[in-house]
Amino acid sequence: MKSISLYEEKNSTLNHLDSGCKMLYMVAAILVPALIGNKWANVAVIILSVFLLAISKVLRKTVPVLSVSGIVILTIVIIQGMFRAGNTTVVLQLGPAAFYKEGLLYSLGIALNVFNILLAICVLIFTTKPSDMVENFIEKGFSPRLGYVFISIFQIIPQMMETMNTITDAQRSRGMETEGSLLVRIKAFLPLISPVVMSSLVDTKERAIALEVRGFNAKTKKTFLNERKVTTTDKIINLLLIAAVLASVAWRVKLWLG
Amino acid sequence: MARIEVNHLKYRYPHTENLALDGVSFQIEPGEFIGIIGKNGSGKSTLCQAFTGLIPNFYRGAYGGNVKIGEINVRDVEVDELCQKVGIVFQNPFNQITGSKLTVYDEIAFGLENLGLSRKEMIRRIDDALEQLDITRFRDRNPFDLSGGQMQRMAIASIIAMNPEIIILDEPTSQLDPQGSEEVFKAVQRLSQKGITIIMVEHKMEKIAAYSDRVMLLDEGKMIDFDTPQKIFSRDDLLEHGVLPPAFTRIGRGLDRKNAATGEYPVTLKEAKEALEGMAV
Repeated sequence: MKSISLYEEKNSTLNHLDSGCKMLYMVAAILVPALIGNKWANVAVIILSVFLLAISKVLRKTVPVLSVSGIVILTIVIIQGMFRAGNTTVVLQLGPAAFYKEGLLYSLGIALNVFNILLAICVLIFTTKPSDMVENFIEKGFSPRLGYVFISIFQIIPQMMETMNTITDAQRSRGMETEGSLLVRIKAFLPLISPVVMSSLVDTKERAIALEVRGFNAKTKKTFLNERKVTTTDKIINLLLIAAVLASVAWRVKLWLG
Repeated sequence: MARIEVNHLKYRYPHTENLALDGVSFQIEPGEFIGIIGKNGSGKSTLCQAFTGLIPNFYRGAYGGNVKIGEINVRDVEVDELCQKVGIVFQNPFNQITGSKLTVYDEIAFGLENLGLSRKEMIRRIDDALEQLDITRFRDRNPFDLSGGQMQRMAIASIIAMNPEIIILDEPTSQLDPQGSEEVFKAVQRLSQKGITIIMVEHKMEKIAAYSDRVMLLDEGKMIDFDTPQKIFSRDDLLEHGVLPPAFTRIGRGLDRKNAATGEYPVTLKEAKEALEGMAV
């Protein structure tokens, strides 16, 4: 079955790292450059994230993420580069369009920030099993019900898409047109979507009962089959990350005071 | 082991007019294999869910009489408390998958995690359940990638792992192909031999006749009869209650061949053979 989870088991170093560790990395990677407020800090963290993604063999998976956001970034660069208030120094003249240094530097800052955040999130999402992450939260007191909702989405949505395909095929075999102009598609939408919704409602009730009889609402404290192993390496990395965040906070405070 | 006692059970679903169960009373001894038969809407599934406390605790609705599992009155405890004594497997194997686990092994662990068992105990029980249902080789597969029969056996394994004394199967094979059904029946029979009380709703009468110690006939929420398969399937009014007896019984009836000792029609192949032996062909 096709999963919509972005996680892929690659048996890499990051796969074996505790999920808490990677979450902390994501937070630190976003916070540290923001606190330091220097483009080079951003560049450094981006390089680190790219390196981590590369050794986890998931660098290629970032391409769609980056290219989609790249288009948005490109428009920002064009607009800021040409029209930002305070633009004075022309660096590039393309016919009637003039690009200014101030605007381009400003948009470069935005671009670096966005890419940094995206890559940091990618490091977490691409190398961590969603269920590990949620179990980690539940252990810390997060509601198991909400946790279930988060994890099950990854399997239930593809399930619903499969149901949708089956229903589309069934309706098509009875002569319904599902492809063609916009009007045809709109007309096809209702007879397609209503059986999906109805069957999902029935499924949900049945699944709720099935969960119920397996003690989902039991008041005893949940345990977990998969042991969470927080190794010494994990602890050291956690400490380093926290130290980095604290150091950048100190740096910021020093800047304010000085 | 717990004995099941049902006294004057009446139940009506919320927003409905008619009683789904109408004054049902009976007892089931530990270790029995009980088949429940009856036409659609006769109250079979409702009765199944009444054993587990889903009725009335999940559905609400109007409830009268009582269901006792051992000393426990089902109505007074939560479903999650009872699920360690009474397990239930439903018709659609698909909708019994939690959807939150990526492997068969983890899927079976779901109920055990909820009960807060230790890791060691979980692994012991899961390995045992996989073994009993003969699905150990699928342990690392995605639950949604299994065939119907395998999925249903996984659903049963998930229940078995919770160590219930009673297992209720509500039409467990109605959505399976013949091979899948056979796998499930074999698995259920093994569980029965281990002394677990089995209560099974099923439309395949040959199977009910072959496996059940006693058969309960329901119609319109009332218990018509509760007796040995031979007695039940020899009844003259079965068709009026919407039940077609096993092929062997129909043959016996058609040829008017009864078991000489009991005066009942045969219900299994073996009995039919005995009853027909000596007949001129």
